[in-house]
Amino acid sequence: MDRYSSTFAALRMRNEIAFIPFAEAGDPDLRASESIFKSYVDSGADVLEIGYPFSDPIADGPINQRAAIRSISAGLTHAAFFRLIGNIRSYTDVPIGILLYANSARHPGYSTFCKRASDAGIDSLLVADMPPEESEELAAAMTANGLQTVYIVSELTPPNRMKYICSKVTGFVYVVSRLGSTGVQTKVNVTVDATLKRLRKVTGKPLCVGFGISTPGHVRHMAAAGADGAIVGSALVKIIEDNLASKPSMIKQLSKAIAAFKKATKRPPSR
Amino acid sequence: MNSKGYFGSFGGRYAPETLMPALAEIERAYHRARKDSSFMREFASLLHTYCGRPTALYFAKRLTGKLGGARIYIKREDLNHTGAHKITNSLGQTLLGKYMGKTRVIAETGAGQHGVATATSAALLGLSCDIYMGTVDMARQRPNVFRMNLLGAKVNPVESGNKTLKDAVNEALRDWTMSCPYTHYVFGSALGPHPFPTIVRDFQSVIGTETRRQILAEEGRLPDEIVACVGGGSNAIGIFSAFLKDKKVRLTGVEAGGLGLATKKHATRLTPTALSRPGILHGSLSYVLQDENGQIATTHSVSAGLDYSGVGPQHSHLYTSGRARYTYATDKEAVAAFQLLCECEGIIPALESSHAVAYAIKAAPKMARNKIMVINLSGRGDKDIYHVAEYLGKKI
Repeated sequence: MDRYSSTFAALRMRNEIAFIPFAEAGDPDLRASESIFKSYVDSGADVLEIGYPFSDPIADGPINQRAAIRSISAGLTHAAFFRLIGNIRSYTDVPIGILLYANSARHPGYSTFCKRASDAGIDSLLVADMPPEESEELAAAMTANGLQTVYIVSELTPPNRMKYICSKVTGFVYVVSRLGSTGVQTKVNVTVDATLKRLRKVTGKPLCVGFGISTPGHVRHMAAAGADGAIVGSALVKIIEDNLASKPSMIKQLSKAIAAFKKATKRPPSR
Repeated sequence: MNSKGYFGSFGGRYAPETLMPALAEIERAYHRARKDSSFMREFASLLHTYCGRPTALYFAKRLTGKLGGARIYIKREDLNHTGAHKITNSLGQTLLGKYMGKTRVIAETGAGQHGVATATSAALLGLSCDIYMGTVDMARQRPNVFRMNLLGAKVNPVESGNKTLKDAVNEALRDWTMSCPYTHYVFGSALGPHPFPTIVRDFQSVIGTETRRQILAEEGRLPDEIVACVGGGSNAIGIFSAFLKDKKVRLTGVEAGGLGLATKKHATRLTPTALSRPGILHGSLSYVLQDENGQIATTHSVSAGLDYSGVGPQHSHLYTSGRARYTYATDKEAVAAFQLLCECEGIIPALESSHAVAYAIKAAPKMARNKIMVINLSGRGDKDIYHVAEYLGKKI
């Protein structure tokens, strides 16, 4: 069984949803980044969502863009990225999903990129600016290299398109909880509940919600609304950004936050 | 172009999923509007009565005499309302936004011309308007920032990245992913995800159809060469589009050579360099300046409107197919051309358009006197006088 299937199956048995923390690879530098992802795992992450930093991340908000720029400035290269992932993979067996932009995979060639990703122990790719219509060549390379697909669905996605996208997903469906880019918000957008309901009718694939999930309360909301996972990005990247002066304090606060988020992933007793 | 928006192997729709329904909606609405005679009539009427189209095709007698070669005609896009070809696309797209029931338009701007044109169109048609502009560009195009304010638009300064056009596009796209249910994004050049490169090309194709008619009336034959500057490439694709099938008409695009190709401080995408290769930026696959890790390279040009890492996908196709040729002019050559056109013809050209003039200065003398060259003068240069003064070390 692949890592996603076994992870989601085990979580279902425990009546929990997946907690999926995010950070940009190489932020603030390669060594600190490796410690950050290890601390995510140690503190309860079920899946890791790792960003491949891109200079022009149009689907990300300012917090993640600043993180990407920090990482690129600190010297993240293609080779360094895959070395970092390899190190994380030898530390843990949790599924690793990569969030990237199309140009990063196209630059070395889709097959080369997928081969390296697979060798490094990556489980899935989500390309923020590549809808399924444009993914044919990349998807073929991913299949050939045993990588799973993740695609985004939003509240604006019409019913037929929802079905089409879900049919292309082999990993999980990434449900964006609100319009716009990634970022921190105080209140959860409740229209996501309806989107989850609509999706549940067309697919049995795991549904993980991201964009703007910033507090354990939001995670609890997603667990109750029927999601299979909650992805938290900017709220954690903000902690990294606020603690650039002290790495030990950064790791300590991240660990504390991850543990609190993970605690909120219990599903309420079924009605 | 095929149904997925590809010109040869370039183009496509590389957009975040949240924008996909909006892009499909624009594509449907645009097809409907093109067949709607009342929409097309309103557009044509505004181009005539409001923008001042057709713009003149002017024989540049003194410049021709000075250069001593081809007969040079100048297509006076600088005479459009707001001072550049940009208004044609802005009006068309703002009308389209209104046609779709949107109440707000947004746009990115580099030199400020597209921002001013969109602010103008929004004022004319009663829509609210937000413009995104890099702070570096705001500093070098101060008059246009104030112009946009006067026209009732909000100018949002962009501090990320290089603080120029590329970064303004990023921010405008972010705004649009949030606001697309009630907002139309007026893309300023023949760039972005399908159907924008087609819509912008179609609206700007009036430059080419007018030029064709005018040169036939004047000279009784087609020109030998057409020259236009290429940033995103909307003025170039606009004038080229009417001549694509006339294989004898040489089509030349002039990019920003900045401080020279050896320096990496340029915006030349369609001349082979270490930085230039096909890539995906801002929604389409086209030639893009990028580093050895696929990060988008920063660019430099004396003209804000050409200072961009990507280029419209149809230009990449015309480049690889060989139908158009692409070359460049450096900052220095462009400023010299700016001065020459001022002194020789009494026309202050935009720094962008000055790149096309700079090419003509080099190429026209090598052509026989019975040859005809048309320069697309995409905009006027009043906006650039402060920047040129600074470049020349003069105080005004």
